Amino acid sequence: MNDVGADMTDTAITTSGLGKRYKRTWALQDCTLHLPTGRIAALVGPNGAGKTTLLHLAVGLLAPDAGSVRVFGQDPYGNTKALAEIGFVAQDNPLYRDFTARELITLGGKLNRNWDAALARTRLSDLGIAPDLAVGKLSGGQRAQVALALALAKRPRLLLLDEPIAALDPLARHEFMQALMGAVAETGTTVLLSSHLLADLERACDYLIVLQTSRVQLSGPVDDLLESHRTLIGPRTEADRIPGVAEVIRVSHTDRQSTLLARVDGTLPTDPAWTVREVTLEDLVLAYLAKADTRATRTAWEVKA
Amino acid sequence: MIEFVLDGRSRVSTYMQLVLQVKQALRVGLLAPGDQLPRVREVAGSLAINPNTVLKAYRELELEGLAEGRPGVGTFITRTLAGPSLTSQVDLREDLVGWLRKAEAAGLGREDITALIETTMRAVLDGPAREET
Amino acid sequence: MIWLTWRQHRKQVLYTAIALAVLAAVMLPTGLSMHHVFTDSGLAACLAKVPTTPVISANVNTCGLLSNEFQRQFNGMGFIAILFLILPVLVGLFYGAPLVAREVEHGTHRFVWTQGVSRRRWAATEFGLIGAVALVFATAYSLGVGWWSGPLISNGGRMGQFVFDFEGVVPIAYTLFAVALGVLVGAVSKKVLPAMGITLAGYAVVRVLIEVFARPRYQSPLTASFSVTSNDQFNTPDAWTYSQGIVNGAGKLVQPGAQMTCAGQSGGAGTCGDQLAQQGLGPAPFSNWEKYQPASRFWEFQGIETGIFLALTVILVCLAFRRVRGIS
Repeated sequence: MNDVGADMTDTAITTSGLGKRYKRTWALQDCTLHLPTGRIAALVGPNGAGKTTLLHLAVGLLAPDAGSVRVFGQDPYGNTKALAEIGFVAQDNPLYRDFTARELITLGGKLNRNWDAALARTRLSDLGIAPDLAVGKLSGGQRAQVALALALAKRPRLLLLDEPIAALDPLARHEFMQALMGAVAETGTTVLLSSHLLADLERACDYLIVLQTSRVQLSGPVDDLLESHRTLIGPRTEADRIPGVAEVIRVSHTDRQSTLLARVDGTLPTDPAWTVREVTLEDLVLAYLAKADTRATRTAWEVKA
Repeated sequence: MIEFVLDGRSRVSTYMQLVLQVKQALRVGLLAPGDQLPRVREVAGSLAINPNTVLKAYRELELEGLAEGRPGVGTFITRTLAGPSLTSQVDLREDLVGWLRKAEAAGLGREDITALIETTMRAVLDGPAREET
Repeated sequence: MIWLTWRQHRKQVLYTAIALAVLAAVMLPTGLSMHHVFTDSGLAACLAKVPTTPVISANVNTCGLLSNEFQRQFNGMGFIAILFLILPVLVGLFYGAPLVAREVEHGTHRFVWTQGVSRRRWAATEFGLIGAVALVFATAYSLGVGWWSGPLISNGGRMGQFVFDFEGVVPIAYTLFAVALGVLVGAVSKKVLPAMGITLAGYAVVRVLIEVFARPRYQSPLTASFSVTSNDQFNTPDAWTYSQGIVNGAGKLVQPGAQMTCAGQSGGAGTCGDQLAQQGLGPAPFSNWEKYQPASRFWEFQGIETGIFLALTVILVCLAFRRVRGIS
């Protein structure tokens, strides 16, 4: 069993002003993160927000155009030594579809210095996956399990998964998360997995990173984030400063009432006019995503306000 | 060995659900001192939850003195929930029945009684520090 | 890495080997037939006796009868030869173009480049092994075609622009060039089918440009001439003739493409060429003239062209390496 407090002084991923540009647009910019080891982190955001770019930078598939990224203190770009500590599954689980699972495990052994073939074989046999069938003939869920087993066979300290369950049916999704959680319980591997659906990740993740329009909107341990945000419902107000509120993330008004999701500064608003409620992770993510969302104004459409 | 079940729609946090299920199991006798709780790996792997959540639940049980972790072996129940003897419970129950009749006679409805009990419990049990039994 | 490259390509290599074997089996009978007829008809013996000077007396037998008979009998072989022109580019299309393009198109580059091998090692092994396989196949069909076309060449020479392309060692250079081009184009376009199309077009353009503009200039051609009054003929059947014509006494080409002989005409040798003189094309004496590359320069030309294509191959491979480094 792993002790939760043990590796907290290490960070698995450190980025500093990280940015990546494609021609003229920045796919990711001003990204500064410190992901501690031992965490299972969720990277959420809509498609095109920069999740895949961030993961590719972390695994050394891309070189930064601005800032830096370090994994366990090393620059992953073109660094096979650093790569040995990172297990990566790209979007859509790309594998050589005419290879059998057995051949893929052999392949891993040939391409990787540290390779635990027995671990991969055990995992796949426990899941009942046929070893001598071309993986292209397996179901999507089984292929995802193969990709995960191959990533874990490197015995990595960090696992990066790009939307691993997006294309899977609910049962396959659940089985994948079961397999992943079980593996993490055994090895204490740090995990960063991206998804555009938060619901799948809520129970698994204890760290959250929200990306929207190529920037990090929110990041931190889930417990801390939930503790530092509240929903406030009260009489309609346009007031800039409400006691106890450090920053209003999202607000909506009716003619009588205002509802805000706010970051509180430790002293909860004591004014009895305000009803204070705790937030769910989903509320939080939605509020931060909406905050950064760029929408055309009514005037752009020449619609009367 | 008990098996955990989660209520996805409950507002109770995951780790607290696990704690409550252990306590319920103790209450009904499914778990007794000496029994091993499911391994963290099994719970995380079957419920698809963060292993740290399971650890947090087990730690909570340890803090309450209900369980103890033995490194390399597992987490084991150390005592039961029930404290007082059966006879004192019978006496207390009789007293409670009498009080309820009195409250009814005074005109309190079900919700008034519940509210009264809850506020009094809070004031008495959570207020000034109580003595350890 | 070697295991991976082999495992990825083993089916393809097998099919190619089978295809070549089938091709060989099909060509064998015609090849044997040509070889037999070549000797049995006496053409071989006859050609062996023909002198090698570019100009010889018209009385010398240059085996024209036997040669024409042989050509008539194996007239269709020319079409088969076209097939051999295609082989190098086919290897380029099926081995070169998909090499990088398929990995990127299917996304498997994100799998294989995040294991423990660097992109450089991946590229070096893949390019190297596929290049080696292409080299082996190219050598095999080069040797095969060389043997098969032996009689045709003895009869008609191999300096000619069309024939040159499937003789000697240039097919090997063409093949390696096609593969390298395919790899680079695939690395740039990142999709297999467009890569194949562009590789085909690119290969054709380069080959045509070099063949039409560069090859004639590898060495200065020779000239040969003989007076229109002499009883001579050109004896350069296996040379690459650039042009022929009639030159006047001052050495100027006055009648391109024409040949004239007036040996044995009535009116005596002196009247020969009078028509030309009357047209103001003088001064006499007039000579039949040709500009040509002799067959003896075959291997020099092969060497130069091979060198060009190998140099291009190296450049393309280097560019492909750099391109692979930049793929996201």
